[in-house]
Amino acid sequence: MMSPYPSFDAAGATLTMLPERALLWRKRAMLILADVHFGKAAAFRAGGIPVPHGTTRANLELIDALVQRHAVRHVVFLGDFLHARAGRVAGTLQALARWRSCNAGLSLTLVRGNHDHHAGDPPEALAMEVVDEPWRVGPLAFCHHPQTVDGAFAIVGHVHPVYRLAAAGDALRLPCFVVDGQWAMLPAFGDFTGGYRIHAQPGQRIFLAADDCVLPLPD
Amino acid sequence: MPSAPSKTTSQRAPRRRSASPPKAAVIPAAVEDWFARHRWDVFDFQRQVWQAAQQGRSGLLHAGTGAGKTYAVWFGALLHAEPRLGREDLPATAQGLRILWITPMRALAADTLRALQAPLADLLPHWQAGMRTGDTGSGERARQMKSLPQALVTTPESLSLLLSQPDARQRFGKLDAVIVDEWHELMGNKRGVQVQLALARLRRWRPGMVVWGLSATLGNLEQSLQALLGPDAAEHGVLVRGQQRKRILIDTLLPPQATRFAWAGHLGLQMLPAVVAEIDASGSTLVFTNTRSQAELWYQNLLDARPDWAGIIALHHGSLDREVREWVEQGLRDGRLKAVVCTSSLDLGVDFTPVERVLQIGSPRGVARLLQRAGRSGHSPGRSSRATLVPTNSLELVEAAAAQDAVAAGRVEQRPVPDTPLDVLVQHLVTIALGGGFLADELLAEVRQAWSYRHLREDQWQWALDFVVRGGQSLGAYPEYHRVRAGEDGVYRVELPAIARRHRMNIVTIVADASLHVQYMKGGRIGTIEEGFIARLRPGDRFLFGGRVLEFVRVHEMTAWVRRSSAGSGAVPRWQGGRMPLSSTLAHAVLDRLEQAAQGRFDGPEMQAVRPLLDLQHAWSALPTAQRLVVETLKSREGHHLFFYPFAGRLVHMGLASLLAWRLSRERAATFSIAVNDYGFELLGADKVEAHRLEPRQALALFSEERLLEDVLASLNATELSQRRFREIARIAGLVSQGHPGQRKSARQLQASSALFFEVFRKHDAGNLLLTQAQREVLEQELELERLRSTLAELRERTLTLVPLERATPFALPLMVERFREKLSTEKLADRVARMLRELEGAADKTSAQARPQPRPRSSPRKHTG
Repeated sequence: MMSPYPSFDAAGATLTMLPERALLWRKRAMLILADVHFGKAAAFRAGGIPVPHGTTRANLELIDALVQRHAVRHVVFLGDFLHARAGRVAGTLQALARWRSCNAGLSLTLVRGNHDHHAGDPPEALAMEVVDEPWRVGPLAFCHHPQTVDGAFAIVGHVHPVYRLAAAGDALRLPCFVVDGQWAMLPAFGDFTGGYRIHAQPGQRIFLAADDCVLPLPD
Repeated sequence: MPSAPSKTTSQRAPRRRSASPPKAAVIPAAVEDWFARHRWDVFDFQRQVWQAAQQGRSGLLHAGTGAGKTYAVWFGALLHAEPRLGREDLPATAQGLRILWITPMRALAADTLRALQAPLADLLPHWQAGMRTGDTGSGERARQMKSLPQALVTTPESLSLLLSQPDARQRFGKLDAVIVDEWHELMGNKRGVQVQLALARLRRWRPGMVVWGLSATLGNLEQSLQALLGPDAAEHGVLVRGQQRKRILIDTLLPPQATRFAWAGHLGLQMLPAVVAEIDASGSTLVFTNTRSQAELWYQNLLDARPDWAGIIALHHGSLDREVREWVEQGLRDGRLKAVVCTSSLDLGVDFTPVERVLQIGSPRGVARLLQRAGRSGHSPGRSSRATLVPTNSLELVEAAAAQDAVAAGRVEQRPVPDTPLDVLVQHLVTIALGGGFLADELLAEVRQAWSYRHLREDQWQWALDFVVRGGQSLGAYPEYHRVRAGEDGVYRVELPAIARRHRMNIVTIVADASLHVQYMKGGRIGTIEEGFIARLRPGDRFLFGGRVLEFVRVHEMTAWVRRSSAGSGAVPRWQGGRMPLSSTLAHAVLDRLEQAAQGRFDGPEMQAVRPLLDLQHAWSALPTAQRLVVETLKSREGHHLFFYPFAGRLVHMGLASLLAWRLSRERAATFSIAVNDYGFELLGADKVEAHRLEPRQALALFSEERLLEDVLASLNATELSQRRFREIARIAGLVSQGHPGQRKSARQLQASSALFFEVFRKHDAGNLLLTQAQREVLEQELELERLRSTLAELRERTLTLVPLERATPFALPLMVERFREKLSTEKLADRVARMLRELEGAADKTSAQARPQPRPRSSPRKHTG
């Protein structure tokens, strides 16, 4: 089946960029997500800043939808799975545990990021494999922080990249994928994550996530 | 005997209680003597204020800038607090805070304190006067924590901080009087609302205290008095008019030759030689600009033109470091400085006697502001105030003529008071929860004694309370949420120290967007700058700041590190909030002048000078007047342009433009790029708007008031206006914390942008009243809905003249080159992105230049290329 979404070649692996701000390695039935920041809203609330409920549930529902649509067997989180220690509240952890019990057959891997070091590893009940960066699988090296890895193509997160598209008197800020010669960067997944504006460097390709499309920026 | 307040409340003429019967309280001889010793006359208005205050009455003193205002209210407060002042039998025991002086600007506090201290030494020797602002050092703060001086000069923010102390009630327990200086600067904004709430609290603790405000002349002084005194007390308030200003002279510096195009963004530098000549020929001069960027540019260019003026001309604006500003102010006082290029940062404050002239670069935007600025000059005996308008584009010549008309006719703008801003209420609830806690019913009654909340509904109150207690309306929805909690005694308090700390930090920064210190790598601090500007810079970029070209190095811990650059020029920071709209008063005066021009009348040198431009506009298109709405269409490389000229001020134009764009794109999805100025607006779209939509009958539908609110709200959702408005609301309501130097790492995990909050609320809590407030503020303050409504009515009465253009007219050109543009889109996001990407690809293929004047790139900021 032809994918309606653009792909790139990563040292021989074909990776597809999904408009839901995720990466699909179809051959391995692997879904890759960066910077989900579960419990961020709860951490804010614990700090006295009211953020409405629903961001965790929305994120989990979106993962469910992607898992089903693309017959995913393995989900890799590129760091910052939990936002902060203060976000490890019962409500959020229970929602995660419930989701896990409905998806018991799924393999889950977390490549630790900077937030995970503060927030601590996910609870045992989630049965996640937790590893340090770089975590190598085939020709790929999964990381949280941007970096190059000798002899592998790095898939990274951390930055929450967004691109400011301006043309014809119009302008928009859009989450984006950045694909370089030896690495690719994912936008942050999820509802309450925010973004950091990046500029295209020579030799990089930028793909914008807009609604249900992923559109390449012309060179 | 105090005179009884009038019982017939319906009879509320402005002068009603100005003239108190002379038989009232006697002014102590000590006061009269003190004035005599300084060879000062006691003015009638001072006596009026003193007597009223002695009788325990509150009020508002209004006057242009001029002598005697400060001592009118200061002695009034003293006489009320200590009727026996200056006498031998004066009790020397009274400790604690007695009089509070609130000033809108930290920079004014020191000068004010000096003025207040002068009579104390002679008349109340055991009294101390001090100040407490954001600049007050920690040692002084600690001393004040033990015991406040009898008189304290402070700012609205610092007052709120004092109210957040657990022993606030005790600290204010002896308060006799509050003075609010420059009330006209506060009454129209949220800091003024903060003051209203503080006063409501203090009044409840000290029912006998008097409150006096000082205000410039306004179109709605009665309302100003009411907002200051609150709904119950206002009725007994006294409105006193101060010394009448001497003659104010307003004239215009005419360009050497009239340009036929009204360029925007030109900053008027073609007038540089004329301005140099004026400064050269005059004594000490204040050169007012409308924005900080304009001030930077003018300062730089004046120095380039006259290098010999280095050291005797200076720059003054709100972003410069306090020490720099104080040095400049002292220089003005001493008469050392020949000229100071400044912004509204010098609108207020103590008079600089040596200042002879005021030059206003660009439109003053309103009559009140023009009068205020003019009043900064001519304080030497026998001099009159003189303001000279320096037009920065040809159309401002019409404004200059119109401004003189309005001044001559005595038409001054009103200043509306904010109505029920819930973000400020939310902040206040936390402040009071910290400051000893509150009982819900008691605080509700108290808050309703603040004018802006006099109509606060039960459900709005409940919502605000729920918001700080539960984080939202749904009961128990947020178990982990703690901000304010009711104890078993029913008293609401803040329990967590971290929340208290962050809240106090946020109170201080209510006014400004997040700003960073600007500091040399070698150490010296230069001032502060908005984060938004720095965020767009890359290391190595140069920018103009504090009169120097700086090279940006990096940002670290809320400081932008820079080094001096040897390059000649740099980008100019575009600070926010610099762009006031043309007031309705002035806009109508402009339309009157254009009407005359359409009839062939060009009275006065300004209208003569602008005549070639108006003639050209007339020849290529038509002159917009109060009878005729001119709409022009033009096709260019960028797309299809529509120009409208209602002359209703930029805010109303933004509302009108969004409304029309929305109504035009309802049948067919489109994206419009919108540019506005004070004269008109432009809609730029990819497709042509069918001509029949602009035929007279169809146009009536476009300007219809039917479904106005629904359409404006819908058009708001298609723009980013509400989201931007939400920035301030999120900050005041404590959602977004200001970054600050030395911030603890853990606090960073609670940083999110207001845009993110806006999105999350919209998606997951659409009923959130802060969202509603953002929308309402956009409607009322940004788009001026009422003014929009009356403008629509006016437009329906006007004859619509539709002119297809070959090339841009003098009125159209400034809109075409306007760089700050709003977007309105009814397109699907993906379609819109795809269209923009096609455009980018197309542009990359094309290299051909165009014959017509090239508009500046629309993306900001302007980068220098040297």
